Amino acid sequence: MRQSSQRAVVLASVLVCFGMALPSAFADETCNSPYISSLIKGQEDFVHVWTLGVEGLGDGSDKLVTIDANPASKNYGKVVDSKSVGRRGEAHHMGFTDDRKYLWAGGLDDSRIYVFDVGTDPSKPKLIRTIADLPAKTRFVGPHTFYALPGRMLIGNLSNTADKGGVTGMALYNNKGSLVTRYDMPTATIGGVKGDGYGYDVAVNPAKNVLLTSSFAGWQNYMRELGDVIKDPEAMKHFGGTMVVWNLKSMQPTQVLSVPGAPLEIRWSLAPGQNWAITATALTSKLWLIRQGEGGSWGASEVATIGNPAQVPLPVDISIAADGKGLWVNTFMDGTTHYFDLTDPEHPKETYHKKIGTQVNMISQSWDGKRVYTTSSLLAHWDKKGADNEQFLRAFNWDGHTLTPAFEVDFTKEHLGRPHHMKFTAKANQSRTLAALVR
Amino acid sequence: MRRALGSVAVCLLACAGAQAAVDAGPAAAPRLEFTPLQAGTYQLQAIQPVQDATLLDEHGHPVQLRALTRGKITLLTFFYSYCVDPLGCPFARETLGMLRDRILREGALAREVRFVAISCDPTTDTPNVLARYAQDVTGDSGFEWRFITARSVPALLPVLDDFGQDVSVDVDAQGRASRALHHMLKVFLIDPRGQVREIYSLAYLQPEVMLNDIGTLYLERHTSSSAR
Repeated sequence: MRQSSQRAVVLASVLVCFGMALPSAFADETCNSPYISSLIKGQEDFVHVWTLGVEGLGDGSDKLVTIDANPASKNYGKVVDSKSVGRRGEAHHMGFTDDRKYLWAGGLDDSRIYVFDVGTDPSKPKLIRTIADLPAKTRFVGPHTFYALPGRMLIGNLSNTADKGGVTGMALYNNKGSLVTRYDMPTATIGGVKGDGYGYDVAVNPAKNVLLTSSFAGWQNYMRELGDVIKDPEAMKHFGGTMVVWNLKSMQPTQVLSVPGAPLEIRWSLAPGQNWAITATALTSKLWLIRQGEGGSWGASEVATIGNPAQVPLPVDISIAADGKGLWVNTFMDGTTHYFDLTDPEHPKETYHKKIGTQVNMISQSWDGKRVYTTSSLLAHWDKKGADNEQFLRAFNWDGHTLTPAFEVDFTKEHLGRPHHMKFTAKANQSRTLAALVR
Repeated sequence: MRRALGSVAVCLLACAGAQAAVDAGPAAAPRLEFTPLQAGTYQLQAIQPVQDATLLDEHGHPVQLRALTRGKITLLTFFYSYCVDPLGCPFARETLGMLRDRILREGALAREVRFVAISCDPTTDTPNVLARYAQDVTGDSGFEWRFITARSVPALLPVLDDFGQDVSVDVDAQGRASRALHHMLKVFLIDPRGQVREIYSLAYLQPEVMLNDIGTLYLERHTSSSAR
């Protein structure tokens, strides 16, 4: 007790004269919730990869893999940590809490949510909590998007417990891991368009008080072999074709927009004065612009084609530049990344493309856009087979014209699994939490 | 009100350059490009209950946090008296000041709302310091705006933890604490039963919206009272 008091006195003696608050930002690097603090505008130190376990490979479980991404480090490009969760549940996406100290990561199959402490020592994330009550408390299945709101996490889900189809909703948890409430995706007609009830991504524009959601497919489709789904006309009917505009304050849907072909990731351009978001449709291979009209209502329009839709390139992840003037689009089937000039968002223009591998899924860029990271896995049952089933993280440097390889990690050779979603962290070189200093 | 908002905007513009130098993030004042919903036309979810703790008031007397977060609609924030970040504590203070003025004009509402500011630096912000600070901020409005501290940092930590309020201190190469304190600006809206119903970070700190949220809780309380 005495020691604590003495440390408190020492601490107090330094907490004088100067102080600053870390403001929340309007965008992360570059696709996270606008409510997340502590942007990494310089060099990221680590890339965390939420990785699907593969039976017979390593321990076969899902794991959070941490890779050193700082060229100045002796471990640059190497795996420095791997935290297994001890089971396989179709690891998929992650999201930081608003203070960026915790990373929530979900499993699309078992609907478990893992909370990792990445703030204390980002080189060694620590699993601090497992949330297993999502299906029981919400009747939703397949937690996909983890989107920070102040003090809480909004989770966009893919499916439901009743029929494991695509009708689903969102769940709101507080940062302590307790469910606050649930929201059904609309199935009624709103603004002349009938909701399909499907869900996928969620994205907020605070200045507009608008939440946008997109739509994909239920457990019955995403846990089935892709080849079987494509050959099954009935299954192909069960993909989302809508986006929903919500009043963020009331969490009531105000418009349903028709966006056929499974609109996936949503990226707002949050530059001042901008009033649009963009998405890519997986099945129809298009870019769609969601824009606010003169009267305040929102409209969706197809603005570009990605690759050759006849060959179903399957656009999956997208990553928008910090200034909203460029967009990376990964097409899974041909393993290619495309760069679109978004200077005129009504007319995106592809200016560059590069084949990354036999398959490619996620793409993340640093805030300055100079570093681009890609991973290979889409879903366990949708990845390619045999020699085409490359599993990697490939990092590149981008000079505005060409992607130059920086490093890569072979996730099969390293006995890790199928790498999917990525998030960046930086070492807390300059600061310690108040609690750590008192200890 | 418009003049007050204008003065905040001018201050923020003047300070923008300095802010860019100290933080890598694209800090900016919250933008309001929509018409806020009317009070009482929407629900605010119960995010979490506030845990009790023993703190110190401006007179150096022990005070239970429970007593400061029950019975009225409470806006609670963490601060420190020497914060100079234009988009940190001073911005919150300015915003809350504007809200206080609006609430005072509402008459009955003013008797059912309080503001509570808890210092992140209990040793520097002693009760004496806070008493002077409170006088500067609140004047003689009669509005309940409390400035609270703790006996020690360890006594404060459970409160910070409960609210999820991160506070960190810069350290030098040897790990010694320096003179820079960081915290993410958050303001907590708490209902009279001690439930956090909204949390405003910088992007959310929109006075018109906050006023309507307070009005929503006020109407909720009085509608349920009259229903009984």
